[in-house]
Amino acid sequence: MTINAILNGRVATALVMLLIFLSMSLLALGFTEKARLMPLLIGIPGTLLGIVELINEMRASAKQAASGDNSNDVTKAERAMLGWVFVFFVGILCFGFVYAAPLLVLAFMLAGKKESLTVGLISAAGTFVVLYVFFENVMEIPLFQGLIIERLLG
Amino acid sequence: MDFGGIFDALLTIVGSPYHLFLLAIAVPIGMFFGAIPGLGGKLGIVLVIPFVFGMDAVAGALFLIAMHSVVHTGGSVPSILFGVPGTGPDAATIVDGLPMTKNGEAGRALGAAFGASGVGGVIGGLFLLALLPLLQPIVLAFSPAEFFLLALFGITLIAMLSGDSLVKGMMVGFFGLMMAFVKLDPQTGIERYTFGQLFLWDGIDIIAAVLGIFAIPEMIALGAAGGSMAGGSKINASYGLAGVLRGIGDVFRHWTLTIRTSLIGAFIGMIPGLGGDAASWICYGHAAQSSKTPERFGKGAVEGVIAPETANNSKEGGSLLPTLFFAVPGSSGMAILLGAFIMLGIQPGPALALPENMDIVWVLIWGLMLANILAVIMFIVVAPGLGYLSYVRGNLLIPFVLALTFLGAYLAIRSWENMALLMALGVLGYFLKKYHWPRPPFVIGLILGPIAEDSFHKAMALWGPAFLLRPGALVMIGLIVLTIGIYVYRLVRHKDAPEWMHEDDD
Repeated sequence: MTINAILNGRVATALVMLLIFLSMSLLALGFTEKARLMPLLIGIPGTLLGIVELINEMRASAKQAASGDNSNDVTKAERAMLGWVFVFFVGILCFGFVYAAPLLVLAFMLAGKKESLTVGLISAAGTFVVLYVFFENVMEIPLFQGLIIERLLG
Repeated sequence: MDFGGIFDALLTIVGSPYHLFLLAIAVPIGMFFGAIPGLGGKLGIVLVIPFVFGMDAVAGALFLIAMHSVVHTGGSVPSILFGVPGTGPDAATIVDGLPMTKNGEAGRALGAAFGASGVGGVIGGLFLLALLPLLQPIVLAFSPAEFFLLALFGITLIAMLSGDSLVKGMMVGFFGLMMAFVKLDPQTGIERYTFGQLFLWDGIDIIAAVLGIFAIPEMIALGAAGGSMAGGSKINASYGLAGVLRGIGDVFRHWTLTIRTSLIGAFIGMIPGLGGDAASWICYGHAAQSSKTPERFGKGAVEGVIAPETANNSKEGGSLLPTLFFAVPGSSGMAILLGAFIMLGIQPGPALALPENMDIVWVLIWGLMLANILAVIMFIVVAPGLGYLSYVRGNLLIPFVLALTFLGAYLAIRSWENMALLMALGVLGYFLKKYHWPRPPFVIGLILGPIAEDSFHKAMALWGPAFLLRPGALVMIGLIVLTIGIYVYRLVRHKDAPEWMHEDDD
């Protein structure tokens, strides 16, 4: 059994959870006595549970790997969707809701899901209407302009 | 009790076309603010304050209470259809509402949510009416000691929501608690886990956290799997009116649960500082705990929709009590409502309980109940159309919902950093979902963590460890022991349990 066989998404998730508890518990040691009481009260048992769960997941993954089950791997479609969520985040962060969101909707439909241009354009226009017309103008809720647009507009 | 005054107040509303008109427009506005992630009732009230300014006190108060009392009725729609909670307390509805949609029962889930919201709202109003004479001793009986133990009681429900792995459930619950400690320490004021980020000083925003843990993973899963939210289930009558009416019928079929969770919700709403977010989760946990077939929970049990929805609306009745008679808001929404009432010339406080001032109180109670009934009627009309949304192709839905989710996170505290938090929790939430880590305990931990910590320190400062021996505290300890006892008993009785609450909703 190779290490690679058990290093899959399932084990990585348990490892991330363990690291969160471990790092937060270690950071809590730097707080004052009162401030660290609750974080340590939760963080230490959380770390111990994390170790138990990591061992459980590694054992289960080893069994699955031996039986040829690769359901713990992250699929191409999942990676693509995770990528799209990241693109939405970066796009909105840089260019704001009004400009970026309609373009992202259009890009997702055309490039990501191979929808027709008509469907993509209608969806993008609908998004623009909701954000710009409804939120910004009718309800007068100022939306985030994006870090780059804000910098450009001063 | 002044029955004449009570019914005069009803006549003031139903006998005036102007007041009925105000009710008719306040209800859809309130539901709209509830249905859009990040907006919520608080922002709704803030935005309509300019419109009620200048109205007479009765009309203005009626408009505001009607709007505020149905916010969570609207919030159940995106929770059930897309797994996107409109507001924090609506997240509990996702746990069974979304699986019902995936099973092709969107109409039934919506009907159950609307029916439960309506009944919960009415019971909340009746609760308010019945408790008026007993108000002061009950509210004053809750000290930090009872607050701490009530929060601890809520945290024990993590076990009930832990699915097939208690270890995973506890870890996710503890993770929620740890996230609740990300803020300025309430005792010393020093920064804890904030890394110098101003937006974290008040703590992790509940809206961004809930959207990250529930909405983003659902959209990633939908995009990766293809199809629609209703998945492979064939279009059937359940998205139509028949399904909606069946869902409403479920509320009355499970009438004991409906009444119990309505009363629990109203009671929790009445306790200032506990917050309404806790009510829906505590009631959900109670429904799972008290069910004879708990294995259905998390997989589309209609009781899992009824319990949080009754609580969400009934708590508004409960939280009106301290808001009106002590000027102590029962929730953050009520705090804004309190300000609006003062603006209208209504002075909350003990003087409001004097007979000459009670007219406005009766109007508010009737307004709250009538708004909930009106919301159900309005939703029955549009619910079949809403249910059909669950069959819309994911390709069309995902980008719009993603944009709306980021918008919700941003609007919650008007900070772009909140979107980064949403992104981080969204990715983690997806892997938790994929590898069958139960996500509901995270929200319980996040909501109850600050209450538990703050009241623990206060109770220790006031009484030392002896706070555990106060009469109210002993009652709460009894409840906690009973909850754990029931859980252990079920574990022993069903060796294969708890397979229930397994959140595998792929």
